[in-house]
Amino acid sequence: MDTETRTEVEPDAARMIDRVRTIVVRRRDDRVIMGLAGGIADRLGIPDAYVRAAFISLSLAGGAGAVLYLVGTAIAIEGDEEPNPAPQGRQVLALILIFFGLMVFFRGLRLWFGDSWVWSGTLLAFGGAAMWDRTSLFDSSDPAGIAPSRTRIVAGALLLLAGLASFSGSISSIESLGPAITAAALTAAGFMIIFGPWVTSLVRDLNQERRDRIRSDERTEMAAHLHDSVLQTLALIQRTDDPKRMITLARAQERDLRNWLYGTEDGTLVGLRQSLEAMASSVEVTHNVPVDVVVVGDIPLNERNAALVAAAGEATTNAAKHSGAPKVSVFAEVRDDAAEIFVTDQGKGFVLDSIGEDRHGIVDSIMGRMKRQGGEAEISSEPGEGTEVRLTLPRGNQ
Amino acid sequence: MTDINLFLVDDHKLFLTGVETELSEQFPIIGTAGDVDDAIAGIRRTEPTVVLVDVHMPGGGGVAVIKNVLETHPDTRFLALSVSDSPEDVIAMIRAGARGYVTKSISPTELADAVKRVADGDAVFSPRLAGFVLDAFGGAISPVSDPELDQLTPREREVLRLIARGLAYKQVARKLSISIKTVETHVSSVLRKLQLSSRHELARWASDRRIV
Repeated sequence: MDTETRTEVEPDAARMIDRVRTIVVRRRDDRVIMGLAGGIADRLGIPDAYVRAAFISLSLAGGAGAVLYLVGTAIAIEGDEEPNPAPQGRQVLALILIFFGLMVFFRGLRLWFGDSWVWSGTLLAFGGAAMWDRTSLFDSSDPAGIAPSRTRIVAGALLLLAGLASFSGSISSIESLGPAITAAALTAAGFMIIFGPWVTSLVRDLNQERRDRIRSDERTEMAAHLHDSVLQTLALIQRTDDPKRMITLARAQERDLRNWLYGTEDGTLVGLRQSLEAMASSVEVTHNVPVDVVVVGDIPLNERNAALVAAAGEATTNAAKHSGAPKVSVFAEVRDDAAEIFVTDQGKGFVLDSIGEDRHGIVDSIMGRMKRQGGEAEISSEPGEGTEVRLTLPRGNQ
Repeated sequence: MTDINLFLVDDHKLFLTGVETELSEQFPIIGTAGDVDDAIAGIRRTEPTVVLVDVHMPGGGGVAVIKNVLETHPDTRFLALSVSDSPEDVIAMIRAGARGYVTKSISPTELADAVKRVADGDAVFSPRLAGFVLDAFGGAISPVSDPELDQLTPREREVLRLIARGLAYKQVARKLSISIKTVETHVSSVLRKLQLSSRHELARWASDRRIV
């Protein structure tokens, strides 16, 4: 309660401004002019459209509203607190009485543009405010707001009609304008006021809906991807007893997820690096042997490089299938003159001449692939010493 | 090898426990920490021989741990251990002062070997780290300010290539007909270059390769 001790020592004028400032607040965002009407509306807990209507109406009283607005802006502080809860019926009544009291007060002071102008203007302002009040009028997410908003539409429309009628009555003396044009203009204005909020809220809702849909599409896609990949893999891991298989599954999943998170969006293979990673991943899954890939430099994938990757894939598969090694290493280096890939395993190795027909076919196929692209393949192996396949492809005129 | 005391730093409890179980048979583990501040305080208090440190942690990550501890305890040896293998993480850890970098998929035996090697003052290069270094020091040789630090010798390149191919130091030595000690010397010298080189391509390379 230190505010009380402070107000005692302060001069009266300053104290009054302080008091006023508890209500006169300028809003930081969603402003029309200076944010004064919005700030006051937040403080009083009523929709800002009505405060704005009050200022417009008071402005018709010899410009008093405009002067009040300027004075209010000058003394107002910038507020950023949450809007207060809506006032109770008694408080609303008090506010209405204050408003009309001010109007009559200004009328007494002869700050007045004439009864027909001011009162029809007031009717139009509040009718418009009732229609434009966005707080719950079209907010279908708030079911409680629907029922009162119907009555408000009717009330707003009646206010508008009354305003328009009294307005056209007041200007009917100026017959020279042409009654047809006046009627048409007034009707158009009425329609705009009545249907404007509906149209704007419709557009706003459509935009919001589109944003929501895009977001939910993304979420669905992510969920689908995680379901197809991570969740499936986790399920598989739970069902398997073989630690080796578990490791392979986890590694393949890790690689896949990494690619999905950081790789190209549609998963197309753009370079040697990525296609080697993909190759390694598929060998891992098929043969349950980890494949380590290290790539130095990178080149875009073309027909020749694809042949290189395919040859490396066969060598890797071969090593995974037959070497018995706990893992296979793939090392690729792209230099200015050539691309070179080593597929190495620390497995049991073999004597080149002694291998069976089936494996010979694979060796031939690796050699053949490389030769067709102008490259070469070299296989060195010794029993007990593991195997190394070296693939070289000159860069040529890339 | 009981004279090697280990300290583990990782914010993933599960992983921390796993590594602890794997390594506690071979090394006394004198402390663990789950965040940067605990780690710095704990390492300063217990003064371990080797610290296994994770890269990504709230509060500055492994790099902050290494830098802070080395200020007061320059003899502490760090081995970076991480699930992340993006080049800029690797280079940042090494330049902060880690003597090696291995990924969390490493086998327990290999990890124990790596700890011993780091404790002996040698560097631990996984195949992937060797690949990164070749990549970073590769390319056209532009005018370099300090050839001693900013370039790799042909022999160092050869050693790194063989490591990148997945060969153990022993096999590298045999392949090049040199001793294991010489291989270790080469790798340590590459580590020094990696830590001290002012080669601006290193920074640019790491940022170019930023994959996020």
